Amino acid sequence: MPPTNRNGWILIGLALGLICRVATADIVVVVSAKSPVGALSKAQVEDIFLGKTIRFPDGALAVAIDQPEGSAIRNEFYDKVVGKTAAQIKAYWSKIIFTGRGQPPPSVSNTVEMMKRISANPAAIGYIDRDMMNDTVRAVF
Amino acid sequence: MGTGPRPHVDGFARRIGDRVTLGNPSRALIPLALIALTLWLPAYADVQGPDGSTFSFNGFGTAGVVHSSEDKADFTASDFEPTGAGYSRSWSASVDSLIGGQFSATFTPQLSAVLQLIAQQNYNDTYWPHIEWANIKYLITPDFSVRVGRIVMPTFLDSDSREVGYGNPWVRPPTEVYSANPITSVDGLDASYRLHLGRVTNTLQASYGRNLAFSFANGSKFDARYAWGIFDDAEYGAALVRVGYLSSDITLNDGGALFDAFRQFGPQGAAIADKYQIVDKSTSILTLAASYDPGQWFVMGEWATSRSESFLGVNDGWYVSGGYRVGPFTPYLTYAQITQRNNSSPGLNLIGLPAYLAPTATALNADLNQVLNSRPDQYTWSIGMRWDFMKNFDLKLQLDCINLGAGSAGTLINVQPGFEPGSTIFLISSVVDFVF
Repeated sequence: MPPTNRNGWILIGLALGLICRVATADIVVVVSAKSPVGALSKAQVEDIFLGKTIRFPDGALAVAIDQPEGSAIRNEFYDKVVGKTAAQIKAYWSKIIFTGRGQPPPSVSNTVEMMKRISANPAAIGYIDRDMMNDTVRAVF
Repeated sequence: MGTGPRPHVDGFARRIGDRVTLGNPSRALIPLALIALTLWLPAYADVQGPDGSTFSFNGFGTAGVVHSSEDKADFTASDFEPTGAGYSRSWSASVDSLIGGQFSATFTPQLSAVLQLIAQQNYNDTYWPHIEWANIKYLITPDFSVRVGRIVMPTFLDSDSREVGYGNPWVRPPTEVYSANPITSVDGLDASYRLHLGRVTNTLQASYGRNLAFSFANGSKFDARYAWGIFDDAEYGAALVRVGYLSSDITLNDGGALFDAFRQFGPQGAAIADKYQIVDKSTSILTLAASYDPGQWFVMGEWATSRSESFLGVNDGWYVSGGYRVGPFTPYLTYAQITQRNNSSPGLNLIGLPAYLAPTATALNADLNQVLNSRPDQYTWSIGMRWDFMKNFDLKLQLDCINLGAGSAGTLINVQPGFEPGSTIFLISSVVDFVF
């Protein structure tokens, strides 16, 4: 039922604004500040997180790290960068796991943990909210 | 139809498998016990060893039922299920249901091992779990690996995860193509080499081995020796193209009585028996496949030609399937077809035979041609919907309309008297798939 007064419309406007903000929360793909890796393309990030390659374009080892399963940031990362829903990603890895071809990236329990893992390992690559950026990590996408 | 002996050929492909069961009899209690066991196990176990080694356990399963409108023959999903939906049971839970568990161990970054067990309806109508894979993998370089042990024979696009319903869009892979595969895994070794050319990832794989010989309940023995295959996958983003070739020397002493009868007719009868009997007969499958899955929708297709220097002859199967994702729902449509290339034989030459043997020879010739023409011939429209209704679960509903070719029982088995070949059959299937 459409709202019958002006406040109703404002509320809907706010709600939509909020949804849009959440939907466009800025995700950055990051590596350790010590890593020599340069900017990556969307396709390169996708290949690393889907296990299609285990190397950066320069040949160095790449170790992908995921945010926790079911987290908003993880779902959005896969939706935006890989173009797949959480269920599709689960189905994709089911195919890989049950043939012994690999395991999905290990996941951390939160962004702080993610930052720790990435800053400690020049091979690590993960994704965080842009607001969480600091000088231990560097954005590559 | 002749009066002579007739081999049981209606389900050659269906009764071929590499499965080795771990024990004997008992029925539906086993999967139930396994389900109970797996629910009791931690939902996902991942143990880190002190030296960086990891051990993990993952499981998958499907619980489903199928109903067939045809009650004088069985529809089955896998190559070696002895019973299915239709004649054996009006609503069958044994066609698609299974449960599997996999232990994976990574000892060092280079060395890992996999053990996968699956419980499902076996070729001998038991439900004991069998060892699907048991192999050790060694990474010589990050892109070059070798495996030794029981390994997949990845004939088809979906061979690797054929049993993992959750990984597939449909209730089951189209039988028109997948039933052409006589061998799903072998005891042997393979090597896989991955090459990155810009955004194209090319994976070349070669496999070699044999599958353990076993006997069916009716006494027929199956053996596939010198099985080798070469498979090449080229991936470009969401697009995949695949070509594969698989060859093996197959022995299946099905139809022994018919061919023994031919051998009674001297050299010309022996020549016919040698030509058609499956004794160390070279059998090959050539496959081509492509898929495109950008996320919102997918389309895929496969084509397979199987060729056997025996009464099995040459068969062509293909399918095209597509789906579109709307939130948690993925409706899909599939067209699949299998046809047999012309396969007939003049049989025994009656000229020169004593008159009293002519009726027998004529009957044998008729039986032989019946056998030669009893290969699957059908096309199927399937429409269905996958619903990802909760984390790690999906529910699928699928309707199949199978149109049997004139005079053919298609891929159906356990054909009963009164069955009408060439008819149209409807299937309704519903499954819940899960991974844990």
